[in-house]
Amino acid sequence: MLSVEAVSKTFGGVQALRSASLSCAAGEILGLIGPNGAGKSTLVNAIAGVLKPDAGSVKLAGNEITGHGPEHCARAGVGRTFQTIRLFRDLTVRQNVEVAHITCRSVRPDVAARIGVDRLLAQYQLDGFADVPAGTLSYGSQRRLEIARALALGPLLLLLDEPAAGLNEDESETLAVAIEGIRRDVGCATIVIDHDLRFINRLCDRLCVMDQGQVIASGQTEEVWRDPRVIEVYVGQSETS
Amino acid sequence: MSQAIEDTTRPNGALARSLVGGLVTSLPVLVGGLLILNFAPTYYTFLALGAFVNLIVVVGLQVFMGNSNIANLGHSAFVGLGAYGVAILSTPLAMKKLSIPNAPFGFATLELDPVSSALLALLAVGILALVSGKVISRLSGVAATIVSLALLIIVHSVFLNWTDLFKGNQAFFGIPKVVGLPWMMAMSVVVIVLARLFKDSHWGLQLRASAQSPQAAAALGIDARRLRLVSWVLSALICGLAGILYAYFAGTISPKLFYFQMIFNTLAMLILGGMATVTGAVTGVIVLSVGLEFIRSIESGVTIAGIQLPQLLGLSGVALGVVIVLCMAFRPSGISGRYELDELLSRFFRRAK
Ligand SMILES: Nc1ncnc2c1ncn2[C@@H]1O[C@H](COP(=O)(O)OP(=O)(O)OP(=O)(O)O)[C@@H](O)[C@H]1O
Ligand SMILES: [Mg+2]
Repeated sequence: MLSVEAVSKTFGGVQALRSASLSCAAGEILGLIGPNGAGKSTLVNAIAGVLKPDAGSVKLAGNEITGHGPEHCARAGVGRTFQTIRLFRDLTVRQNVEVAHITCRSVRPDVAARIGVDRLLAQYQLDGFADVPAGTLSYGSQRRLEIARALALGPLLLLLDEPAAGLNEDESETLAVAIEGIRRDVGCATIVIDHDLRFINRLCDRLCVMDQGQVIASGQTEEVWRDPRVIEVYVGQSETS
Repeated sequence: MSQAIEDTTRPNGALARSLVGGLVTSLPVLVGGLLILNFAPTYYTFLALGAFVNLIVVVGLQVFMGNSNIANLGHSAFVGLGAYGVAILSTPLAMKKLSIPNAPFGFATLELDPVSSALLALLAVGILALVSGKVISRLSGVAATIVSLALLIIVHSVFLNWTDLFKGNQAFFGIPKVVGLPWMMAMSVVVIVLARLFKDSHWGLQLRASAQSPQAAAALGIDARRLRLVSWVLSALICGLAGILYAYFAGTISPKLFYFQMIFNTLAMLILGGMATVTGAVTGVIVLSVGLEFIRSIESGVTIAGIQLPQLLGLSGVALGVVIVLCMAFRPSGISGRYELDELLSRFFRRAK
């Protein structure tokens, strides 16, 4: 579904991405991990069209979307959440989801008919708050709303940048179950960034480990943890998260 | 997977709801208008006509500012263009011989009926709005506001200096007085409903979303520029309509009517009432119009219980400033806040049940 090939990006003197490649199939949950500043968010932003890579290509379902801008990528089927929550705070919870669904109705009407705003709200335990302003929700609910909103786009690819950050263990578990539900119901490719390795290991089929802008390992979750370079990066980083 | 029936039925339901909402919001305006029409002395009718023009301007302003959250300091350029448009097109030839005998493009010898003149004036407003909107919609925040201000100044200088066509800073008189209170009320309702329909439409919702988080809106495929342009043009057309109605009831216009004083008054009304809602626009106009008229009446000195109060010239300006400062300090979202009148009523009745 998604294939990222040799994407590089430099900010001033900082090489945030050095020829990073990865791929993610439909229905797959890929964990993207690595220490702070490894380039994970930058990679997600390059895929979502927010950043134009200096080199390399991003293809979604065979279509080139490299550097096409966030609006175009969203219409092409990239749904995302942000590392720092970005909701439409004065709009109601329902309106937040509705806004995404409008786009879906215009670009993928068949998918939109299947999704249904009310169903999404119920799935993410937001139906009790449908008519309150999104900014008044608790932190955990805001995180869930951001995911529900991204899903209302009917995405082919879902990018979740630290969805479990700031959640307690129970909330993380609920979230993990919900994300598995997405795979089952929507079947989109999903990339999850998080520093909570327990959350990542429990959820992901495959891992992709980044360090200093490079992808240093990728593969099945258990295999990756046997990779010496991954161990090196994570040793000394005792108890990440 | 369960089919969601709601999605096929809701659009019509939503349309009906915002239509009803718009009508409920215009109810106070209608009632006020009817009272004045039937009971008030002529002096108040004249004042009310002015207030209705302000109302339409403020509702127009809300369409852009309330949804895009960008301050607009140029809207009275469109009011002025609407007014001058019908003045130039519909003024009787005998009058034109006196006022603009040297008008270019054959305008000196052209006399159209009021309706055609109004439509052509709106067309002119639409064209100016499209051109200026192309620039403004690419910008956001302060930059867009500055450009709107520049537009005001440019249009004002053209009114002042192209004397063959606009008669400069002298009053342009002799415009047919074809609009009275009933027309003004009808148009106010139309405009209020239109503003509400826009706000609740997909475009309105997407534009409000993009104003709150441009990044998130872009990530949902929303083209904020195009939406800003749409709301800018609609806002301008409503302001242009206000100008047309003004010209048709007053019969006389001059450039200074459509300059900073109008910008300041109408902005104050919108901000005081609350720019997030159409209800806020209506509320602000009612409160400030009534309030300012009351202050004006005591400005000239009144007698209360036999005590003659001194003249308080300039009081209205001071009061306006004070009210705005207090409002910004204690209720920055304006009197009506985030809910429309119909939403407030339905919340109230739901709670009372
Ligand atoms: N807009 C930017 N301008 C300049 N430098 C940037 C920008 N965005 C990211 N960087 C730099 O690029 C590098 C990678 O940042 P990125 O945010 O992608 O890391 P990350 O892996 O997401 O880290 P974290 O786990 O802390 O979120 C960092 O050194 C960061 O300082
Ligand atoms: Mg990051």
